[in-house]
Amino acid sequence: MSETSRQIEHDAAAWLARRDGGDWSAADAVALETWLAASTARKVAFLRLEAAWMQSGRLKALGAGLAVGELPDRGRWTQNLFDLRSTQGHDETGDVPVHDHAPEIARAIAGARTRALRAQGGRAWLAAAALVVATLALAWGWQRHERVEPLAYRTAVGDLRNIALADGSAATLSSDSAIDVALSRNERHIELTRGEAYFEVAKDAARPFAVQAGDSRIVAVGTRFAVRREGDDVRVVVTEGIVRLESAPVDGRSQPVTLLPAGSTALANRSGVLVRTGSALDAERTLDWRRGYIVFLDTPLAVAVAEFNRYNTRPLVIGDATAAQLRVGGSFRWSNAEVFANLLEQALPVRAEREAERIVLYSR
Amino acid sequence: MDNALDAWFVREILVHEAALVQFLRRSWPQADEVHDLRQEVYVRVYEAAAKALPQQPKSFLFATTRHLMTDRLRRGRVVSIEPAGDFESLNVLVDEVSPEHRLGARQILKRLAEALDRLPERCREIVWLRRVEELPQKEVAARLGISEKAVEKQIAKGMRLLAEHYHGHAAPESVGKASRRAAGMRDRETQ
Repeated sequence: MSETSRQIEHDAAAWLARRDGGDWSAADAVALETWLAASTARKVAFLRLEAAWMQSGRLKALGAGLAVGELPDRGRWTQNLFDLRSTQGHDETGDVPVHDHAPEIARAIAGARTRALRAQGGRAWLAAAALVVATLALAWGWQRHERVEPLAYRTAVGDLRNIALADGSAATLSSDSAIDVALSRNERHIELTRGEAYFEVAKDAARPFAVQAGDSRIVAVGTRFAVRREGDDVRVVVTEGIVRLESAPVDGRSQPVTLLPAGSTALANRSGVLVRTGSALDAERTLDWRRGYIVFLDTPLAVAVAEFNRYNTRPLVIGDATAAQLRVGGSFRWSNAEVFANLLEQALPVRAEREAERIVLYSR
Repeated sequence: MDNALDAWFVREILVHEAALVQFLRRSWPQADEVHDLRQEVYVRVYEAAAKALPQQPKSFLFATTRHLMTDRLRRGRVVSIEPAGDFESLNVLVDEVSPEHRLGARQILKRLAEALDRLPERCREIVWLRRVEELPQKEVAARLGISEKAVEKQIAKGMRLLAEHYHGHAAPESVGKASRRAAGMRDRETQ
């Protein structure tokens, strides 16, 4: 083999960069094929670079919430954007904190252990020493994580609550909903434990705003969006800026990160993420509950009723299948199911039976 | 990816690059030959897999690595090394269901972000514009007032450095002599 491995890698990168550049003709493609076919070394070097470059398309997610043309300082995301539990970032001084080494030390211990065993205990002290070091390192790393007691907020059915958060952000909690708020030095972490909440995030590039809803994580830097949980489903509506939606791995396979611009409505669950893109105005409209209204647009009555019941203790119940399929539109005050039932009786072939605990809707 | 073999290679072999490089650094005295050894291991594995896919890719990868080192020793390319002929005992823990395969999207993104941050200034800026803002190379050149050729060169460099960290991410260092040697090499590589 006359070419060195570094030379091959350079050439492979040059080919890949040229292809990435655009003006790529059929003749170029043939030339690349010919180059690759000459040796397996070229082939594997190219494959290796290509695989990493393809993955690097995911970097797009880092731009979420940043202005176009804004190149952030190094270490921004490594210190912030990632899960606190696995944070291994750089701190402000640019030093690599001990935390970064903890897993390496742990692995080193494993290595030291096997070697020590082989040496029949002769070097067991090494493993022991490493263990002590690692324990101290872990303890220190742990303490460096500011632990913040989360503040819990919740609403009863039919309540709406505006919350001013300490960082200048605002949250609106919908009926029968709950959030836990933990604002730490590195991250503003919100856990949506039930229901729905709308967030107006104060811009703070150094402290991302992350909402955890079940297996989904929604990250924003400065933007407006709502997150809603319903069973395993998580719905995200973005009215301003961009947010990043991350889902937990399904069956061990990692899920792609989804970027949601203003106007998107995303539905995430174990089967994946579905995004509907519309105008920011449409998105805004689906969040009218903040002003006391719910909006339906050609919505099956069964769905509309379920929506109403999120806000009312005296539920509406569908009496038969025909009624379930009727379609309704309009905007209604969610605080009064009685009025909604009256309107339905006037406009649709529906008859309402008012019981003490519930209102039953039958077709007529 | 062209075909199933290529996809298999990326999925089953390249994911172990960090472990492979660590193993090579620990076992091989000439740090500057690790790059070359790594490539030759890949060549052997790829060519063998083209005939028949190994059932246990990770074990196969490390067995190939040991054979290669033994071959090189026999050819006398290396005069003296401490752990000579003792590659078997330098065994790495080969666990076929290793967590490399279960990397979540967040971890991948984190690794990529770290790789991006390790790029030299100009290179980082250009990769950012190309990959995050998704500008074509042509527009990157116009934005920065440099030639397209210069952008292409920086992209090529970025591709090499990103791959180095993405596949061979932060190979953990072992205790003792080997680690010092490896640390020295890493410093040179990241520059």
